[in-house]
Amino acid sequence: MSIIEVKHLYKEFKIPKRQEGMSGALRSLFHRQYLTKPAVNDISFSIDCGEIVGYIGPNGAGKSTTIKMLTGILVPSSGYIRVNGLIPYKERQRNARQIGVVFGQRSQLWWDLPTIESFELLKQVFQIPAERYRQNMARFRKILELDEFLHTPVRQLSLGQRMRADIAAALLHDPKIIFLDEPTIGLDVVAKERMRSFIREINRERGVTVILTTHDMSDIEKLCQRMILIDKGQVMYDGELAKIKETFGKTRILIVDLEEEIVDFSLDGVEVVKQEGNRRWLKFNRDTITASQLISRISENYNVRDISIQDPEIEVLIRNIYENNLPSEQAFTNKAKP
Amino acid sequence: MLKSCLRGLKFYFYMVGVSIKTQLQYRYAFVMNILGWAMTYAGTAITMWVMLYSFQTIRGWMFWELLFLFGLSVLSWSICIIFFFHFRNMDEYIVEGTFDRFLVRPIHPFLHVVALKFDVGAFGQLLFSIVALIIAYAQLGLNWQLSQWLIFLGAVIGGTLIQGGMLVLISGVAFWTTRSERLFWTLMWPAKNLMNYPLTIFPRVIQLLVTFVLPFAFVNFLPALLLLDKTKESFAPYWGFFTLPVGVIFFALCFKFWTIGLNHYKSAGS
Repeated sequence: MSIIEVKHLYKEFKIPKRQEGMSGALRSLFHRQYLTKPAVNDISFSIDCGEIVGYIGPNGAGKSTTIKMLTGILVPSSGYIRVNGLIPYKERQRNARQIGVVFGQRSQLWWDLPTIESFELLKQVFQIPAERYRQNMARFRKILELDEFLHTPVRQLSLGQRMRADIAAALLHDPKIIFLDEPTIGLDVVAKERMRSFIREINRERGVTVILTTHDMSDIEKLCQRMILIDKGQVMYDGELAKIKETFGKTRILIVDLEEEIVDFSLDGVEVVKQEGNRRWLKFNRDTITASQLISRISENYNVRDISIQDPEIEVLIRNIYENNLPSEQAFTNKAKP
Repeated sequence: MLKSCLRGLKFYFYMVGVSIKTQLQYRYAFVMNILGWAMTYAGTAITMWVMLYSFQTIRGWMFWELLFLFGLSVLSWSICIIFFFHFRNMDEYIVEGTFDRFLVRPIHPFLHVVALKFDVGAFGQLLFSIVALIIAYAQLGLNWQLSQWLIFLGAVIGGTLIQGGMLVLISGVAFWTTRSERLFWTLMWPAKNLMNYPLTIFPRVIQLLVTFVLPFAFVNFLPALLLLDKTKESFAPYWGFFTLPVGVIFFALCFKFWTIGLNHYKSAGS
């Protein structure tokens, strides 16, 4: 059952065009020209109940704009959008009750208040039943270790503490869906790991649907079954993380340590991308030659001391997708169900 | 409906408590704020007195009448400040992303903005205006009946709504332009200060503008005509009855404008 449904979503912004020089500046005082820039350009996807979806793309790709439309902050220019049956920008307050939002860059909490008072205030705002509030607080205090800073004003919290407080605040009213906009930004390795395991846990225990944007690919690898990759306001890829490796990761690197120094090392269909002493990095395509074929051919001709295969890194793959600007239709077969 | 109103009120009062607590944390700034504003207004009143000392009257208004006019304007303004003055900072709330979080909570964003601050600094002005009005009342030998007290009350409430509406209007502009603070200081503040003097000293265009477009005249000048029984002006005195309804309507229009702006809200950054 899909809980979020987006069809042909479109959002454009008008940006005043700057004109050159003094005369241009004067002219634009009276007659301003605008550029219309689509931030989200015909995006469609649907997300099922209980999924963890990574929504990723480079800066300015339209990630935050999409999240803001799903949370009701922004009104779309056109397109169909439903969040658990509601139109977010029309039923903002009802939508607010069923979603939780964390913006990594900005706190949702009251800056001057002790952290606990922010929670109390949210209890009132969302009308959380006392018993439910008590249970949730007890739980979050334990897993997120909130006790160490519960009485400190939010402005004095460290980034990691603030993020923990923020995610607890977003979950206090038992939302069905939670939007995390860069939840691990600026966190150290330990804090990141803690955040991830918490996200996994609430997803498993409460069946909360999670949509997260991030620049950290290990967030995606460790959390998401599925990712939606966007660039320039359009969906580039939508599907399983494993499939992207299959589809794009056709090239592999074979690292060979040779016994002796060989000057003119070469093989058909293989490119030497790097060499260091007796070590060679060989790039090959899985479709033209398999790894075992390659290895047997090398060992026929040369004395090999050691051999290893490198998987393509997800970040490299994604950079390839952006750079080659692959349209989604021809490159993928595993798009989400309509 | 009633329940959500009650919840809104409860939220508002809680936030008021928070806001006062926050302002009291900075004790020096708090005291200086109150003193500073009281002194500023007292300064203006003294300037008036000096002026009137040499001219005796301005267009038939003597000093104590002017003080009454001024005091009435400051009284409703100071109440307005308590509730709405921070609306001029709307641009800041938008740029810093504070406003985004209001939109993901089950409370109307307007109430959220109102609840953001309860400006205790305004008590300086409030104090000044009450003292000024009491002195003027005594010096002019006024002796109001109940009906006049009601007109006075209507002028204060209506005046608060008119000036509050203006601040709401200015903050609404920020939804399109992300500029509001500057608009307040360049447009509303000077226009408001014109109203410290009898409207009749200004050109006709300004008189019409502040009566029918931005109804500042209803804040103090028109009710003052009625309350001070000044019948020899170019305005008929009965205009002064209408401050309250004008305030209610004007505020409602400004609120409507604000909610239209909300749909054009662009949010900022990422």
